[in-house]
Amino acid sequence: MSAGAALLGGFIGTLVLTTTLTAASALRITRMDIPFLLGTAWTEDRTRARVLGYALHFVAGLMFALGYYAVFVTLGRAGWLLGMALGLVHGLFAGTTLVNVLLPAVHPRMGTPFSASNATPLLEPPGFMLLNYGRATPIVTVLGHAVYGAIVGVFVAAGGR
Amino acid sequence: MAGRRYAPIRDYAVIGDGRTVALVARDGRIDWLCLPNLDSPSVFAGLLDADRGGYFELCPDVPFEVQRRYVPGTNVLETTFVTADGIVRVTDAMTLPGVGLSPVRELARRIEGLAGRVPLRWRVEPRFGYASAATRFVSRGAWAVAVNGGDALAVCAWDAGRPTSEEGAIAGGVDIAEGGRAMLALVSAHGEPLVFPPRRDVEARLDATTAFWGGWSARLRYAGPWRDPVLRAALALKLLVFAQSGAIAAAATTSLPEGIGGERNWDYRYCWIRDSSFSMEALLQLGCPAEATSFFWWFMHATRLTLPRLQVFYRLDGGAYAPERTLPLEGYRGSRPVRIGNGAAGQLQLDTYGELLDAAFVYADKGYSLDASTGRDLARVADFVCEHWRDPDAGIWEVRAAPRHHTQSKAMCWVALDRAVRLADAGHLPRARAPRWRAEAAAIRRFVDTQCWSTAKDSYVGYAGGEDLDASLLLMAIMRYDDPDSPRLRGTVEAIRRELSRGPLLYRYTGDDGLAGGEGAFLCCSFWLAEALAIAGRREEAARLMDELIGLANDVGLYAEEIEPASGEFLGNFPQGLVHLALVSAAVALAPTAS
Repeated sequence: MSAGAALLGGFIGTLVLTTTLTAASALRITRMDIPFLLGTAWTEDRTRARVLGYALHFVAGLMFALGYYAVFVTLGRAGWLLGMALGLVHGLFAGTTLVNVLLPAVHPRMGTPFSASNATPLLEPPGFMLLNYGRATPIVTVLGHAVYGAIVGVFVAAGGR
Repeated sequence: MAGRRYAPIRDYAVIGDGRTVALVARDGRIDWLCLPNLDSPSVFAGLLDADRGGYFELCPDVPFEVQRRYVPGTNVLETTFVTADGIVRVTDAMTLPGVGLSPVRELARRIEGLAGRVPLRWRVEPRFGYASAATRFVSRGAWAVAVNGGDALAVCAWDAGRPTSEEGAIAGGVDIAEGGRAMLALVSAHGEPLVFPPRRDVEARLDATTAFWGGWSARLRYAGPWRDPVLRAALALKLLVFAQSGAIAAAATTSLPEGIGGERNWDYRYCWIRDSSFSMEALLQLGCPAEATSFFWWFMHATRLTLPRLQVFYRLDGGAYAPERTLPLEGYRGSRPVRIGNGAAGQLQLDTYGELLDAAFVYADKGYSLDASTGRDLARVADFVCEHWRDPDAGIWEVRAAPRHHTQSKAMCWVALDRAVRLADAGHLPRARAPRWRAEAAAIRRFVDTQCWSTAKDSYVGYAGGEDLDASLLLMAIMRYDDPDSPRLRGTVEAIRRELSRGPLLYRYTGDDGLAGGEGAFLCCSFWLAEALAIAGRREEAARLMDELIGLANDVGLYAEEIEPASGEFLGNFPQGLVHLALVSAAVALAPTAS
């Protein structure tokens, strides 16, 4: 197991995750768009926000991969199944807490359940399990993260041989 | 409970916080409140079922007279009760967060003794889930709490008598003497612990809320006649802006009937693209760019699942799914069914595309930017119009009869393509598509001018090949389908006045709409008429009509969707955004700078 393998897995996993979500959005399955959500924290220009958001999402993907790597090292084993399990937990965490609670709390342009008439946010909050962005959003998000975890698991396991 | 069952719709005032609203009757009773949000299930629905719906009563325990007003420039309501022995004032507001630890939602009712001594009684009957969910009452220290699953609601009383739980209610009473002050706060929680605020925080939030609204309305730019009604309309519209997302609800209620005892009862607690586009333009006219921008962002995000097709409306959270179902409630004065959700969601209403592109045009024309991504999406909408304008649709009134070639829908398709071309010319939309939009716009105009015109009536008609009139044709003038003073539009305005008017009021249309029973006159149509007259240069006629229409508002300057011409009774959902924004638009058209 090596951190370099985890980072490579994280990069490819994020690529797959981002592509999956973008495809799901294009296919009108969900309005979830992680790069857009991340990028609009910095700019109101929608195009620039997406570009910036992609970069930020990749950075986040690499950092999470290092977190997965730490878990693999602690457990003394790695593989696609364990990675997928971590990805599932990661996806659920994203839906219930990370994007649902923490992101609106720090995002300067996103509403929260407490936004009132004295605020005019530009982005609607995701809601529990991101359901505000479409009924299929939780499934797509959790599955996407599960695939991300599996990819990181595969790379870390392969890096150890 | 109090003697009356249903108050006239005209008797209600509205308070809100950008998340939900409450309707307060002249007798001080709150008969409508959904928590935590405007489109959530109700806690008080006495408006729709006097016996089971739930309410919050606060009034003198002796006979009284009522005077009422909003604190000027605010959405804070003052109700003054005058009794034989004294006078007491109740100040109602949904408070805004910002002071101390705010509850999820908070409704504050400040009581002040102004003269003599007045015995007051208050009683809260919460009925969660549209009165369908079980409610458990418990005590938490000094406060009484009503609980249903993850929802809880507490009544905090300071110098207003100790809250007691009795027979499914939390109640109390107090004598208020001159100079005396008391406070009641209804605080709610939704999936989290209740916050029991200290009195000083509630008082401070109420004062801060009053100051916020005063500051907001002071920033509005309007210098024309009917300033107070225009400000009130703008404040009412602001209450319909759902702050979490920027979506704009069509009205605050569901199922207030368009005819007493009838079936025309609809849920308006959703964001209609049409109404919201008009609202956005009205807000821009009044100098509220933040709300307009917020709506525009919401729109671009909400429609991602359906673009280029637009759903007629979306939920306030941006969802596209709002199945219609009925509730086992009595209905306002027996008007059943009581519906939640709205079956019109899946209809094709082609005019929506025109209203949206017109709003985008006004937005860009005022100097706000449309980025490339938004421009591409709007271009797809224009392309969709090119492909579908020949289809029959349900029309602006979302009739539930068979789809028709509605004239107003076709004209608005022309507006959509006209605005798309102009946006492209200005560099906001891809220029390469403009020739197609121009060609299709010309084809639409040929269709409207040949198939939707009645020589016998010297007027455009409601739908191709028909002879029925439709007040929505007034929008052809307002949207500049043609010169508002052109012979054809002048003839159409006169025909509408001849066949659809009753005094200053207009009915929507003649002919069958697929529903039983009748309805009142549609108030927004009268304001459209005033605007159509104004922009055609008939300003004195328009001003006279405006004066009459302003006089039809209730005592606090609000309107429902419809009015019964003979009795003046309000009908339909309340307060309805479309009426108030039509008022704003007509007043702006008559302002000195518009002449």
